Amino acid sequence: MTCNHFTPCLSRRDLLVRSGYGLGAACLHMLGASNAVAKPAFPNFVPKAKRVIFLFQSGGPSHVDLFDPKPLLEERFGEDIPDSIFGGQRVTGMVAHQARFQVMPTKYKFARHGQSGTEVSELLPHTAKIVDDICLIRAAHTEAINHDPAITFFQTGSQLPGRPSMGSWVDYGLGTANENLPAFVVLHSVASEGPGGQGLLARLWGAGFLPSRHQGVQFRSHGDPVLYLSDPPGMTRERRRTVLDGAAVLNKLHYQRVGDPEIETRIEQYEMAYRMQASVPELMDISSEPESVYELYGPDSRKPGTFAANCLLARRLAERDVRFVQLYHRGWDHHGELPKRLPVSARDTDQPSAALVRDLRQRGLLEDTLVVWAGEFGRTPYAQGALKPDNYGRDHHGRCFSLWMAGAGIKTGHVHGTTDEYGFNVVEGAVSIYDIQATILHLLGIDHEKLVYRFQGRRFRLTDTEGDVIRQILA
Amino acid sequence: MLRHSHRRELFLALRVGALAALASVIAPAVEFGRDVQPLLADRCFACHGPDAAQRQAGLRLDIRSAALAPTASGRVPIQPGDPDGSEVLRRASSSDPVLRMPPAYMGHQPLAPEDLETLRAWIEAGAEYQTHWAFVPPERPAMPATSIQDWPRASLDGFVLARLETERLAPSAEATTGQWLRRMMLDLNGLPPTPGDLEAFNQAVELRGERAYAEAVDRALSSPRYGERMAMDWLDVARYADTHGFNNDSERSMWRWRDWVIDAFNRNQPYDRFIVEQLAGDLLPQPTLEQRLATGFNRNHVINSEGGIIGEEYRVEYVADRVRTLGMAWLGLTFECARCHDHKFDPISQKDYYRLFAFFDNVPEIGEAGRVANAVPMMPAPTADQRRQIASLQSRIDSLEPAEKELADAWEPSISDLQSLLIPDYPSNADFFFGCEEGEPPGIAGRGCRAQEIKREDKVKLEEHGAFTLSLWLHADDRQPDAPVFSAINYAPDPVSTNHGNGIELRWVDGEVELRMSKRFPSYSMTVRSDGANLERGQWRHVTALYEGSEGKTSMRAQAAWTRLFIDGQEVATRVLHDDVQGGGRFVAPYRIGQDNSRSGHRFLGRVDEVAIWKSALSEGEIRDVFEASAVPWARDRADFEIERKWLYRKLRPPGESEDLRRSLFALRRSLPTTMVMEERPERRQSRVLMRGRYDSPGEAVEPGVPETLLGHWPEGAPRDRLGLAMWLTAPSHPTTARVVVNRFWQQLFGVGLVKTSGDFGLQGETPSHPDLLDQLALNLIESGWDVKRLLRTIVLSATYRQDSAVSPDRRSRDPENRLLARGPRIRLPAEAIRDQALAIAGQLSGRVGGPSVRPYQPDGLYDGIVVGASYPGTTWEQDDGEDLYRRSLYTFWKRTLPHPTMTVFDAPDREFCTVQRSTTNTPLQALTLMNDPTFVEAARKLAERVIQEAGPRPADRITLAFTLAAGRRPEFEELRVLVESFQRLRDSYSGNDEEARELLGVGESDTDTALDPEELAAYTALANLILNLDEVITKG
Repeated sequence: MTCNHFTPCLSRRDLLVRSGYGLGAACLHMLGASNAVAKPAFPNFVPKAKRVIFLFQSGGPSHVDLFDPKPLLEERFGEDIPDSIFGGQRVTGMVAHQARFQVMPTKYKFARHGQSGTEVSELLPHTAKIVDDICLIRAAHTEAINHDPAITFFQTGSQLPGRPSMGSWVDYGLGTANENLPAFVVLHSVASEGPGGQGLLARLWGAGFLPSRHQGVQFRSHGDPVLYLSDPPGMTRERRRTVLDGAAVLNKLHYQRVGDPEIETRIEQYEMAYRMQASVPELMDISSEPESVYELYGPDSRKPGTFAANCLLARRLAERDVRFVQLYHRGWDHHGELPKRLPVSARDTDQPSAALVRDLRQRGLLEDTLVVWAGEFGRTPYAQGALKPDNYGRDHHGRCFSLWMAGAGIKTGHVHGTTDEYGFNVVEGAVSIYDIQATILHLLGIDHEKLVYRFQGRRFRLTDTEGDVIRQILA
Repeated sequence: MLRHSHRRELFLALRVGALAALASVIAPAVEFGRDVQPLLADRCFACHGPDAAQRQAGLRLDIRSAALAPTASGRVPIQPGDPDGSEVLRRASSSDPVLRMPPAYMGHQPLAPEDLETLRAWIEAGAEYQTHWAFVPPERPAMPATSIQDWPRASLDGFVLARLETERLAPSAEATTGQWLRRMMLDLNGLPPTPGDLEAFNQAVELRGERAYAEAVDRALSSPRYGERMAMDWLDVARYADTHGFNNDSERSMWRWRDWVIDAFNRNQPYDRFIVEQLAGDLLPQPTLEQRLATGFNRNHVINSEGGIIGEEYRVEYVADRVRTLGMAWLGLTFECARCHDHKFDPISQKDYYRLFAFFDNVPEIGEAGRVANAVPMMPAPTADQRRQIASLQSRIDSLEPAEKELADAWEPSISDLQSLLIPDYPSNADFFFGCEEGEPPGIAGRGCRAQEIKREDKVKLEEHGAFTLSLWLHADDRQPDAPVFSAINYAPDPVSTNHGNGIELRWVDGEVELRMSKRFPSYSMTVRSDGANLERGQWRHVTALYEGSEGKTSMRAQAAWTRLFIDGQEVATRVLHDDVQGGGRFVAPYRIGQDNSRSGHRFLGRVDEVAIWKSALSEGEIRDVFEASAVPWARDRADFEIERKWLYRKLRPPGESEDLRRSLFALRRSLPTTMVMEERPERRQSRVLMRGRYDSPGEAVEPGVPETLLGHWPEGAPRDRLGLAMWLTAPSHPTTARVVVNRFWQQLFGVGLVKTSGDFGLQGETPSHPDLLDQLALNLIESGWDVKRLLRTIVLSATYRQDSAVSPDRRSRDPENRLLARGPRIRLPAEAIRDQALAIAGQLSGRVGGPSVRPYQPDGLYDGIVVGASYPGTTWEQDDGEDLYRRSLYTFWKRTLPHPTMTVFDAPDREFCTVQRSTTNTPLQALTLMNDPTFVEAARKLAERVIQEAGPRPADRITLAFTLAAGRRPEFEELRVLVESFQRLRDSYSGNDEEARELLGVGESDTDTALDPEELAAYTALANLILNLDEVITKG
């Protein structure tokens, strides 16, 4: 048995001594008595999900145009959002000068789909075909009203920098399940609208105060897929082997003198690096995928760096038991020209997201893979700027928004929660960001109240002091 | 290599004895501070501690009197001497999950049997409480007695040895000379010794013995590399970076502060002054530029420029960040917890928190700021070199001026002078012109117009980044602090909106003129003010504002460098007050003369005439023509007035050398780097407790203050501001400051502090491994006048530090983290040192100290799909060339949201907040980086070239040199054999493979020595790559 080949923390000898522990528990043990709070090994119970694929939609997709039909908006077009609905809404500086907050209906048609009859917008024809496989949550809400804090909140449980990301927590708790790849992989896509978008931040996949080995590893679509993966030109595999063999002998000799087990670990890390030099290119090489797969994911899937290509890679990573795969797609921040730009974002992501769910299902992987599709907040049912039915914009809206989850342990063909007739506030089944995080951990077999790390005198959790597992969406 | 062999034998003998005795270590009696308090704090205080709001069942266990008093139920929580009669122990050991504490229903685990035993023993012994150790000021400890007498070299060794003897452990043998020298130099300089250093040191030890060690340390301490090495750790604590953070994460300029830190360490600034100047340099009497610069420490925090955020929300975060940093950096306490509620573990109330908060709450700062440059408050921060240039120009001007002035003052215009005056034509190409006398030819008619709005529709459409020239005559009727002269800024939208304050404006501020260019006021604006113009009321004066435009330069960038002001056709000195507007400005109609449309509705008390705008940058000559076209005819008739006479003199006797010098001086001043600093608002902001820590829930008003009962009294007579705070913090009686400081230096040398939780000395932190040693070092630091070099010198010369780091498996398992210090430190180098060392041994490292951050190699496309999609500065990585590729790593551009991967892969933090301790991990990504990052591949090639050039023809000699350079010691026979064999295999492999050899040699921008055989050089390069990847090389051992 080895401890987390990608990030081993124990020498072989140490492991033999502690082989009674689970993989993750053994790692925790080495984090130092003062930091790792005594706790049972993870998972706490039999997990439904072995891995997570998180399709993050950065910018804030409009729930009223995509997932949450509100016919009343049509009737009330141009009227002010009633005070009773508006409540104490915090507005951003981008609309603070507006004298009125006028109702802006969606321009897109909604229809019922599948056996469940779930309504989604015409912008999502492919998602419409998988509504019976997913659970649509219409009652999510967040406190943050700006991108940076909102996305940081979703991914780390705090609006401010400093906390470990969700993937890092999971890696910390569960360790890796494969020997040749990192446990937490991050993929960024470039939207067809262009490389613009709200800035993302390394903290979103960072380890915060956890040991930095738990940070996500970016797999890139051009250049080295993992930074510095390729040997320099003129350094053949054979020569690299010679170099590593020589280094290993010298490291062993030095270990014999100084007795520091870190040296043994380092020898193993070099072997792992050497293996990754083969396993990562193999993973990233999608040329062997059959035509049917490209058809499923859509034409973009042939273009490296697109969301479609990354969804396909996510499936390949899931097949190789990478624990947490984090995708980011930008461009959903439609303050203006929404009817021109939203369809582009939808087109970029709709087919690949649906394809991923279908592909995983076909391969029997959906049973133990959790797929999450979410942005950091929704968009206002009132217009930002001029009130034109064909060219409107919407500001950030945190009081309610929609997202979906699918796979391991999640109800299928289910809609959870409702919002008011304006799509402004949650009416029933409110789901906080902490609840979503608690649920993701729960499906991985982790009690979110037990995944604790002590730092600077305080016990920290991903879910801070809150979070309830959303039992109603569990199968 | 020298070994003190007699000592080694002695220790071997001791070691055997000590190991045999391990089994019989006697557990010492229970101590409240060490054993009980941490347990109670960790497991009980959350509900039964200082936080009144969370207290359950009215039970409080952090105060003895409360814990001994019967509760409402009549039971006594703690009955001294009677464990079984103590409810706390009964409940903690209950097997009934309903009764058991801490409660199972809240997910808590029960106390471990040994913890219950500790509690029992403590209650049995009388349940005595003690003040937490860190809150008691350090006292000079008695020197402990040790049975070994000849081991200690310094008093600190006595404390270490006494603890080892208690644990029945013997110290390790002394490190070899080479091992110590390398360790010491990596610790104090961040760079290894050269083989020459090693040889010289060995000789010196032979000749002068112990003195040679001290001399080597003194050399390291006096090297400029020392300040760089020390700054490295401080930059983490101070969360220094070259970008603002958050999702825009654009560039800022704080490198002048970074260089101040390097300099402060190099000149061994007393550490108490180091604290005072960073906290309150601006509040010192007549602060120097350096002292104000130092306050940048509290402006290094992240700043948010995301459009539409609520400014106050983030301003509050900046203040909170300063409290947090103060707590971790110097107080050793986590105040953060008390932001939302009373601290659960340490006796710090929420009010205490906001009193501390109040010290930092009075900065004239803006919540949403820092989009393209530094946020206010900021100041120009010339380097020493620039200051010399300024002084030199100024002194030359000063030497010319008296004579010029004398001539000018003595000059009386003659009739022929006045007749010879040429009047230039007023340039007819203005894009906008507004004169007050309809139909009149240009000229100062003496009337001008009063405040009015110009409703004409012929607005000037100015492209973003486009140049412009704005010129007008003004006549102030009265003194006035701040008034609009010409306003094309729209202040009408609500100040919280992103549309507030877009446009351009010229203002009168107390006799100076000011150009304001704004996208959103005040967040994203530029303010350039004349400096020393001293315009008086009752005179017509001509003002020209010239914006040269950033087109073709970098669009999204601060603009002040391209902005110049002219009075009466002559350029004047300017001062930049704010410089954070991207893309220049636009004129927004309608224009207003003598008024703006802000809510406060300021008016210019005076008159304005001949307002002209060009959509281009006029030349200096043209600007003079604009002025003279009106001024000369006017002045001809008024030559007896002082100002007008001066105009005529200037017209007739064109200025000489001093004018050129002045122009150079202004240009130099415009190019100065700026840096963000601390300042105080003129009117103090009333700080308040923020309920639940929220910016929009202010509660009780609070005044600045510190938790005096916990951490000592406020110094008598100290001002209630940051300066007083710094005085309190550095008072010799302060219980934590000196301890926290020495502990962090100890951590830098040994990897782990004497207090492992180096940012938290509170109840949740760890107790010190050597409390007396910590106090001894803290008191020594204070008594030495906070002499850091002296402290470090003592430690690195100590027997403790000089131990070998090798360890047997048994001793290692006994103390894996080396907390007992029975061996020398062995720690992987920090990220910066790994790269710096490679560059140094390859002979590539640049020795240049300071300056703007640089951009060495970084993988292409790293920012794609991640950084913000706007071309703010700091969103692209334009790789530098030449020397800047090989600067020390602390100068590598630090982008917070995506730092250089070679840094983060070796555990550097992102610096979004204060970090006092890095983790040290061991990952395959590190292996890939060392194997393949062009920095290291190129360094291997340069190292290969170096050994071929320096070590003679034999491969074994060359390889020996390469290894010695990298590892700080000659290879052992077996090691050399492995290296030579590897080399032979590589040489055979490259032999006849000229093309592949050249490919390898092509990595990196530096030239390859063409005199060398490429195939041979490639083989040595690959071998050097092997050496640079060795664990020993990247480890301080």
